[in-house]
Amino acid sequence: MMDVFNWDGTVSAKDFRIGALSFAQKWESLNSAFPPWSWVPCPKHPWLASPEVDIDQNSQTDPGEEETSCSEKEDDIDDATLVQSNHHELHYCDFHIVYSYTFRVPVLYLRAYCSDGRPLLLDEIEKELPACSSKESPETKWAFITQEEHPYLKRPWYKLHPCGTSEFMKLLFLGGDTGQPKLEVVLELYLLSWFSAVGQVVGLRIPCKMLNDRR
Amino acid sequence: MAKEGSGSILQFAPFQSSVDEGFWHRLSSLKLNKFGIDDSPIPISGFFAPCSHPQVSNYLTLLAESLPSDSNEESSIPAFNRGNRNRCSVPGILYNTNTMESFHGLDKQGLLKAEAKKIWEDIHSGKVLEDSAVLSRFLLISFADLKKWSFHYWFAFPALILDPPATLVDLRPASQWFTLEEAESVSTACNEWRNSSVTADVPFFLVSVGSDSRAAVRHLKDWETCQDDGQKLLFAFYDPCHLPNNPGWPLRNFLAFICARWNLKTVHFLCYRENRGFADLSLSLVGEALITISQGWREHQCVPNAVGWELNKGRKVPRCINLAKSMDPTRLAISAADLNLKLMRWRALPSLNLDILFSIKCLLLGAGTLGCQVARMLMAWGVRKITLVDNGRVAMSNPLRQSLYTLDDCLNGGDFKATAAVRSLQRIFPAVVAEGVVMAIPMPGHPVSSQEENSVLEDCRRLNDLIGSHDVIFLLTDTRESRWLPTLLCANTNKITITAALGFDSFLVMRHGPGPFNSTPDLKVEMPNSLSDVLDNLALTNTDGKQRLGCYFCNDVVAPTDSTSNRTLDQQCTVTRPGLAPIASALAVELLVGILHHPYGIFAEAEIANSNNGGSSELPLGILPHQIRGSLPHFQQMTLVGHSSNSCTACCSTVVSEYRKRGMQFILQAINHPTFLEDLTGLTELMRSANTFQLDWDDEIEDADDECIEL
Repeated sequence: MMDVFNWDGTVSAKDFRIGALSFAQKWESLNSAFPPWSWVPCPKHPWLASPEVDIDQNSQTDPGEEETSCSEKEDDIDDATLVQSNHHELHYCDFHIVYSYTFRVPVLYLRAYCSDGRPLLLDEIEKELPACSSKESPETKWAFITQEEHPYLKRPWYKLHPCGTSEFMKLLFLGGDTGQPKLEVVLELYLLSWFSAVGQVVGLRIPCKMLNDRR
Repeated sequence: MAKEGSGSILQFAPFQSSVDEGFWHRLSSLKLNKFGIDDSPIPISGFFAPCSHPQVSNYLTLLAESLPSDSNEESSIPAFNRGNRNRCSVPGILYNTNTMESFHGLDKQGLLKAEAKKIWEDIHSGKVLEDSAVLSRFLLISFADLKKWSFHYWFAFPALILDPPATLVDLRPASQWFTLEEAESVSTACNEWRNSSVTADVPFFLVSVGSDSRAAVRHLKDWETCQDDGQKLLFAFYDPCHLPNNPGWPLRNFLAFICARWNLKTVHFLCYRENRGFADLSLSLVGEALITISQGWREHQCVPNAVGWELNKGRKVPRCINLAKSMDPTRLAISAADLNLKLMRWRALPSLNLDILFSIKCLLLGAGTLGCQVARMLMAWGVRKITLVDNGRVAMSNPLRQSLYTLDDCLNGGDFKATAAVRSLQRIFPAVVAEGVVMAIPMPGHPVSSQEENSVLEDCRRLNDLIGSHDVIFLLTDTRESRWLPTLLCANTNKITITAALGFDSFLVMRHGPGPFNSTPDLKVEMPNSLSDVLDNLALTNTDGKQRLGCYFCNDVVAPTDSTSNRTLDQQCTVTRPGLAPIASALAVELLVGILHHPYGIFAEAEIANSNNGGSSELPLGILPHQIRGSLPHFQQMTLVGHSSNSCTACCSTVVSEYRKRGMQFILQAINHPTFLEDLTGLTELMRSANTFQLDWDDEIEDADDECIEL
């Protein structure tokens, strides 16, 4: 059995799967404030998916594309339709956790869009991420958001680049002075710990009960 | 607490649409691969769910799965089946046109009427009882502009108009309408309904509450059996709307159905809404509506009028979304290229200045073995603006060593290299801004006849303009004399100049020092000629007193002359070991990147490898040498320094000021008279005095052919 000292910060596909299912389960039971994660069992690249509502009370209407078509003949006048004047623009964010075979670590993919489906661009997304992932902070060493093709959905998503993951995972487990954990324990808590670090970048928090629950 | 006859008109919150990017991707794919120009209507599915948040309404959503599958798209994502509680499926129809004109020319009233008619038919035929989702049937018109990757679209949610409109007698949160016991029972029953995959996506149903406060949820078709007295009976539906004072759109057609089917005049309805996945009776609303139906409703053939075109920010116009950023292959290539460089900056080189690389304009004189490789390396570093100058055509032997050409460029006599190179660069990276100039570089020692004079002068001016409009000039030609004029022009304007030259098995890569004038980095202004004499003293030095670095010609004791005539064939072709050009080209570009990151740029001092220069060798990219000379037989490379010479035929102050005084006439003279430059710079004098020395040992003057001159 490999010694935790020689551990390189990565996790195998099998351990990822086990960890992911357990993570999803715990999340659902202890963190009902948020939508649950669901496991998408696609044969080559199974992943965890979560549609997440990111309520951003952003009442500035966004410019979008201006339509300048000719006015239509009036429909029947309809008193029964409510006309709403102010419209809060909300932004939604979907998160997927996908296993990377190259880096042997989980990778967080995200995609943000407006309520009418228009996708948000990276600079718009970055504006809404918590201040700690602004460019000046040291945490940004690990927080590099790039646009890449989702490995399965084959469309451009944004992801937190995984090349620093194994390093900070090692630091997380071995850098503290809480003694040397056993490797099995490390692997069991892997996804939870990974998420607690990575989630901060995108404003997702793990409630304490999940962290304390060591079943 | 019904208010008798004093109800206001019941107002419904319109449905809102949300189209996932994936829908447009699949539509584009279908259009390109399957449908072509066929614009027959396409059956699609929309998805919605009851409101799940007190402040946010739910939308009717279109996803990739809304469209029929594209057989080319291998998708083994499990289809979202019926029974998904978050995806209640609603049938719709898509009219996608082939042009913008036909999009605007669609008969919107007619299309809306046609869908309204389908709903009307379903109401009367009883289809609604089997599949109630058809009450929320919708219509979508679109135009997909697949050149610009923009999609124009417009939703309609047909709602049959009640005439006169229904009036609202009462509307309150469900928790205030039921007793506590009843409320609990209703919640439980609804949650069960929602959790069963058989009923989770059935959006219209009945809620009956008995006198024992026990609630039951039933299908619409069980209505007859629910006619018990003592029972409260509510017509319930998944309400996407969150507003406390208005029910959502699906209720419109639901009421139409109820009164047409069962002829009720008073309807108690439940707007079913959830919070965090569970029934929320304080968010849900119970209301009472009064309906008066006109005669026409009994008659099946008479289709009521309908409304329902979705407003775009309050206006009756279509919506438009542009997805070029995520669909246009060129844009995707650009962002992938940027990613690569940004990753480099993030992981290894935080001080990498990508802005300067993206904006700098490079002029490459020569599109041969060196030119092709330098161009590729520049693109790899993120340089986007590249101009190539070459007057030759691609020959059959070229593709092997000149990495931008293929056999196709050689056919029919061969394309012009400058043009073929630009084409090739664009195929590699479409966002490159590449230009090709087919032009010969005038050379000293190659005299021109008077007929040719004008065109040669024209070429000189053109070269001058090109140099003026670029930031970096690479001298990558295959003769020594062709480098003279560019060197002079660059020295005159202080442009970053990099020379690469190949011998058979050795190479030279160097950066020229700054020109003799405008020595300080701050002096960007061109000095008027009258001041040039005054500044002659500064000519050799930078303001800090150090000598400026030399150019390619500074170490030569002969002026450039015709090196190409009267040579044997093997001397005429530049024969070199193939490995040299890629090595030299790569070093040339790396040298440029070093210059661009050095605080003094072109004025930077030279550093030698293995020196103990404390400060500047700590630059992240490493040292910035002046010259790199390499030798393949020894697999060795040396960094050297050469300072400028007072008698340099290309960059000394005498030559540059002559050029400034006399311009093109001076150039012409240098071209036509082989010894003119040597006389001017005093090299002739130097040689004469050197030859008067009586020395025994061999005073070898290197052949003008030999590109590599030993210091």
